[in-house]
Amino acid sequence: MKALIKKEFSLCLHPTAAIFLTFAAFVFVPNYPYEVMFFFSGLSVFFMCMAARENGDLAFTCALPVKKCEVSLARILVAGMFQCALLLLTAICIAVKQACFPDEMLVNLAGNSANLAFCGLGALLLGSFNLVFFPLHYHRPEKVGVPFLIAAAVQFMLIGILILIRHLPFAAPLCSPDFANVGLKLAVLLAGLVLYCMITALAARLSMKNFEKVDL
Amino acid sequence: MYALEVEHLKKVYPNFTLGPLTFSVEEGQIAGLIGRNGAGKSTTLKSIMRLISSEGVVRVFGKDFSREEGAAKELIGYVGGGFRFYPDRPLSAVARAVSRFYPHWDEKAFQRYAEEYSLILSKKVRELSEGMKIKFSLALALSHGAKLLLLDEPTSGLDPLSREDFCDTLLALKGQGVTVLFSTHITSDLMRVADRIVYLSGGALLADEPLDALLKRYRVKRFSSRSDADMVWAIGVKAVKDGFEGLVMVPSDGREATLDEIMIHLEYAQKEGV
Repeated sequence: MKALIKKEFSLCLHPTAAIFLTFAAFVFVPNYPYEVMFFFSGLSVFFMCMAARENGDLAFTCALPVKKCEVSLARILVAGMFQCALLLLTAICIAVKQACFPDEMLVNLAGNSANLAFCGLGALLLGSFNLVFFPLHYHRPEKVGVPFLIAAAVQFMLIGILILIRHLPFAAPLCSPDFANVGLKLAVLLAGLVLYCMITALAARLSMKNFEKVDL
Repeated sequence: MYALEVEHLKKVYPNFTLGPLTFSVEEGQIAGLIGRNGAGKSTTLKSIMRLISSEGVVRVFGKDFSREEGAAKELIGYVGGGFRFYPDRPLSAVARAVSRFYPHWDEKAFQRYAEEYSLILSKKVRELSEGMKIKFSLALALSHGAKLLLLDEPTSGLDPLSREDFCDTLLALKGQGVTVLFSTHITSDLMRVADRIVYLSGGALLADEPLDALLKRYRVKRFSSRSDADMVWAIGVKAVKDGFEGLVMVPSDGREATLDEIMIHLEYAQKEGV
């Protein structure tokens, strides 16, 4: 698996995977739907899979001494690494914002506020992308665009729902600065991270199963 | 010992069924996989490598592919129709990535093969000619100590001199104990290097035997009329400039058949349902 992951980095990685990590800094923009940064994370996965397809990567890698199912797992793990890096960078940016910005700038009117709970919601959005994109892509690896469009549509629908919920009265505590309602926000963060892990593991399992049946 | 054992290999497509195929290649042999376009040669090689899902058992030097996929693949060097991967990457980057998968990778051997095959490692894959791509694939395969080479039409697209070089390389590898199974349409290459022929027609195994035995079994005979050919049960009779020609199995009759002629007449016979 180590060799597969190193191969993903050396031969398959698309520059956007690293570039889009900088979008974690979106949280410094006042009144902006920060959730879109997670769409760009999905876009970098799309570019990575498209580049791999153009390079004939799957057929090449499957001829190496690895199990076929491990090939799909390696790419999902690499995507997962970048997603975790994005969440971590977002958390760092949020901490800086909470420490340096005045309270009135910490509440986001265009979407969910950048705080601990937002990271949990972001993890949920990333997981939802994984669950739709990877099993569809590894069902027919020559198809990258259609799985991405469907996954992005699901992601935007969830973003819409999350922004809508943000304006409901019961969700108000989640949009406050971090020092208020910490317990609730931590619970949302943990729930988001647990759900992300569970959903991504399910996505990996389905993808591996689908890829075993694929004729390269 | 068998380098490759294939048992009941079967792949069903909506309009084509491969197999079930059962054949084997002994260690140190060069075997040619022949058949017309669409006969199932590439499907067979891909099924052996599990690049496509299929039924059946494949063993490589006794290792069951379904149980020890990684270990079995370590013994194989697979070249599927030229090297069309990572066109914008330098050869050195591809080789470095590949080397990590093989515990027995020999970097010195790779450098030696690169020098022997005149490969410039700083070049990008797309800058290589078809012949050089094949040589790069072989250098990769041989540097990890592949004991069995599976090559899918490695000589298609090569000029006659490059094909000669390729055949020389195969013979040299055979001298080192490497086993080769390669598919090709160019039977003259096989006449030069092959010990064994695995002949597919319409997805079915038509012959699996030593090349010499196959060549000795059939003779080509010319007939003045179709009825003359039918009288001696000639196989795969076809019209030629001044009569008819078919295969006969009488050792003293007719003239020696080439692999091309055997293929053509057997395909005619298949078409006639004989």
